[in-house]
Amino acid sequence: MMATRTTKPKKSQTEDSNNQSSPLTENLDDNLQHIREGLGNSLDLIIRYFQTIDDAPRIAAVYMDGLTDKEIVNEFISHAMSFQTVNEEGQKLTTSLDIYKYMKEKALNPGKGKSVTTISELFEALLSGNTLILIEDMAEAICGNTSGGEVRPVSEASTQVSIRGSKESFTETIGVNISLVRRKIKNPNLWVEPMTLGAVTQTSMAIMYIHGIVNEDNLQNLREKLQEIRVDSILESGYIEQLIEEGGYSPFPTLYNTERPDSVAGNLLDGRIAIFVDGTPFVLIAPTTFFMFFHTVEDYYQRFDISTLIRLLRFLCLLISMFGPAIFVAALNFHQEMIPTPLLINLASQREGVPFPAFVEALMMEVTFEIIREAGIRLPSTIGQTVSIIGGLVLGQAAVQAGIVSPAMVIVVSLTGISSFTTPAFNMALSVRLLRFVIVFVAAFMGLYGIAILALILIAHLCSLRSLGVPYMSPIAPFALKAQKDTLIRSPIHFMKIRPRLNNDNSNVRKKVVKGKRVNTNES
Amino acid sequence: MRKEVIGPSQLFAMIVLFELGTALVVPIGLKSGHAVWLSILMALPGGVLLYLIYYDLYRQFPELIMSGYTQKILGKAIGWPLSLLYIPVLMFNGSRNLREAGDLLISSTYDRTPILVINAIMVIAVMYILNKGIEVFARTAEIYFWIIMIMGLVCNFIVIAAGLVDVKHLFPLQADDWWDALSSAYPSIWIFPFGELVCMTTVLPHFNKPRKAKRAGVMAVILSGLLLTFTHAIEISVLGENIYSRAAFPIYTTITLVNVANFIQRLDALVILTLIIGVFFKMSIYCYAATVITADLFKVQDYRKLVVPVGVIVLFSSFMSAENYTSHLNEGRAFLKYILPLLCAVIPILLFLVHHVRKRFGWYR
Repeated sequence: MMATRTTKPKKSQTEDSNNQSSPLTENLDDNLQHIREGLGNSLDLIIRYFQTIDDAPRIAAVYMDGLTDKEIVNEFISHAMSFQTVNEEGQKLTTSLDIYKYMKEKALNPGKGKSVTTISELFEALLSGNTLILIEDMAEAICGNTSGGEVRPVSEASTQVSIRGSKESFTETIGVNISLVRRKIKNPNLWVEPMTLGAVTQTSMAIMYIHGIVNEDNLQNLREKLQEIRVDSILESGYIEQLIEEGGYSPFPTLYNTERPDSVAGNLLDGRIAIFVDGTPFVLIAPTTFFMFFHTVEDYYQRFDISTLIRLLRFLCLLISMFGPAIFVAALNFHQEMIPTPLLINLASQREGVPFPAFVEALMMEVTFEIIREAGIRLPSTIGQTVSIIGGLVLGQAAVQAGIVSPAMVIVVSLTGISSFTTPAFNMALSVRLLRFVIVFVAAFMGLYGIAILALILIAHLCSLRSLGVPYMSPIAPFALKAQKDTLIRSPIHFMKIRPRLNNDNSNVRKKVVKGKRVNTNES
Repeated sequence: MRKEVIGPSQLFAMIVLFELGTALVVPIGLKSGHAVWLSILMALPGGVLLYLIYYDLYRQFPELIMSGYTQKILGKAIGWPLSLLYIPVLMFNGSRNLREAGDLLISSTYDRTPILVINAIMVIAVMYILNKGIEVFARTAEIYFWIIMIMGLVCNFIVIAAGLVDVKHLFPLQADDWWDALSSAYPSIWIFPFGELVCMTTVLPHFNKPRKAKRAGVMAVILSGLLLTFTHAIEISVLGENIYSRAAFPIYTTITLVNVANFIQRLDALVILTLIIGVFFKMSIYCYAATVITADLFKVQDYRKLVVPVGVIVLFSSFMSAENYTSHLNEGRAFLKYILPLLCAVIPILLFLVHHVRKRFGWYR
């Protein structure tokens, strides 16, 4: 079955959609089998069987866990099953048709029980949180609205804040997290594969993807990698990230993590795969490219010109936070002639009383800055601000007045620090933080030449990385012209008719783009 | 192991970076004087033709690098020693590039740093990237292609905006000038930089779309030829024929003259960066070519094992081959006159002819 999907994804899609618009059959088991297959045996699909009296037809209730409120579901089912106790004519209802009619007209309030006749209607109802009752020998199902569910208070995202866009973020419960994404993509092709990892912890995990959009090679690659994992415990998605990363000795993260359901939904629609781990609000996204770390979901919510400008600003900040202090140290140590003379005189007079070479000065300031930052993160937010005021203002000011560092160096280091905060992904900002020290060191040793050579090595290293087989630096290297619409810049949404190319994906055309609003479903 | 593949845009970027490498920085075709831009244009068709010969040989033997098909065409007895000849020449040429970069860096900024240190750092970077494989190298080239293009655009724009360009220096072109231009175009400019593309014969077998190699390569050669023409024309028009021919690095001298509103000045860092990048890619391709030919001739399974020895040889020959820059230039003239034409043009053309004759008359067993 897998093989046919990989070779002919388009054909199998059409087959699927044919099946889904087909009517329900009279065979209960067939219907249930259809539902299971249509959802790819997803973890959160619940089917309950009822065999009432001896020769009565079998009845099944179907609903999605996490999308429904358990109490309402139970109430609904018990109402529907009341044909056993309440019987007007004193006779037991034994035929399917009688039971069906009774359920529909008497047991349930009018309007509460609707009938569903096709599989696609059934999926739509199911995924909106309805409970469906199927009866043997009936080609119709009764559907009742039971949406709700045990959603732990979903709080606002704390690490990936946005001005505009949904405020919800993932919680610690995998079922809730899956349902948060399902609420955004109401499509049966959104499949969830359950998995359990960790010999001791038995952590439940799930990989989520949109069947038909996802690249089957990547998916298979990920499955194999996950199955190869042999560890005692998975306590956070970071464990998985480190275990399946290719090129583990790279300073750069090769998997993206997010706590925003809209970010996961957007990435799934781009053909990527989400890895949910129970017990953490951070969901991994694979395959990842370098440029994903500098994109935010909000880029797509704001107007394109503004988003483009902000994106470019982020890349500028990346360069500043990586090379800022290094270039300053190199210019002061090796390339004084590069600085315009008045500025050079100014800088020299500032450094007159400073007893240290520029490199030591920069290193001291950088280390101090890192200490303040680390202290600020670990403390409660109220005290954290005090630390930053004492550290930032008092130390900075005092260090200059005491003649230990020059004011220009304080400016450079603080600009660098602030720039590094513009990177939306925290793990990427950490890597840049680490590399900054290496680059400053090289700059003190060899000046701009050293920086240029190190940059060459760094870019070569970035080009050598892969995430699930997808080159890390794509779509810049290897260059893909069509993908440039959404890499360094963000073009208007109605230009983005093609999904990003992850390996050689056949289904990379977004199905419909209507009046600037993307309708990404395969079905619809 | 997975076969490493290179796409058309990567081949394009590699060829352009390889061509611009040092040719952008050092003066070329000295005999033609102020008409050097004309000689580059004249040499361009020859360069394209030469590339087409390499391309044709590649299409005849899509799986083999140069040393492989040399042995097929001329037989093992002649082909093997002939291919062996390429190894020292490629390494020497790579080391010459390294020497030029080191000398420019020393004369511009690092006057107290030993050339060994400067060159060693570059060689370490080359060894690193070659260890990562040709695919990674090609992708890196793709990124640096854009960086070089943007830097070139900025530099040219600023030189023009600063009002330094004087078109009078480029003209008039008299009959003598045309003749001089032609005589320095062939063989001097034809071989350096266009003939040096012979290294690409070792890269081409990794190309994933053989049909597109022609278009990508020819476009790249033409683009780099035009860019070289433009840059050298700008240099002459700024400096004049006299200073241009005497300066060791005319582009560096040109850019130091820029001063816009006492603010945009000292752009030489950009030129040095261009040279570092150019030399890095050119040298890497030379080292790669030397490494894979050695690996092929001596039946070494993994060419990566040879990267370090080749890198060390290139490093030491870079500063031991000539005592000073003048003797380096003199060596270069002899090298360009007698050795390079043989390897870059004569042997490939010979191979091309012999192969087609043997194929035509069915003299292959």
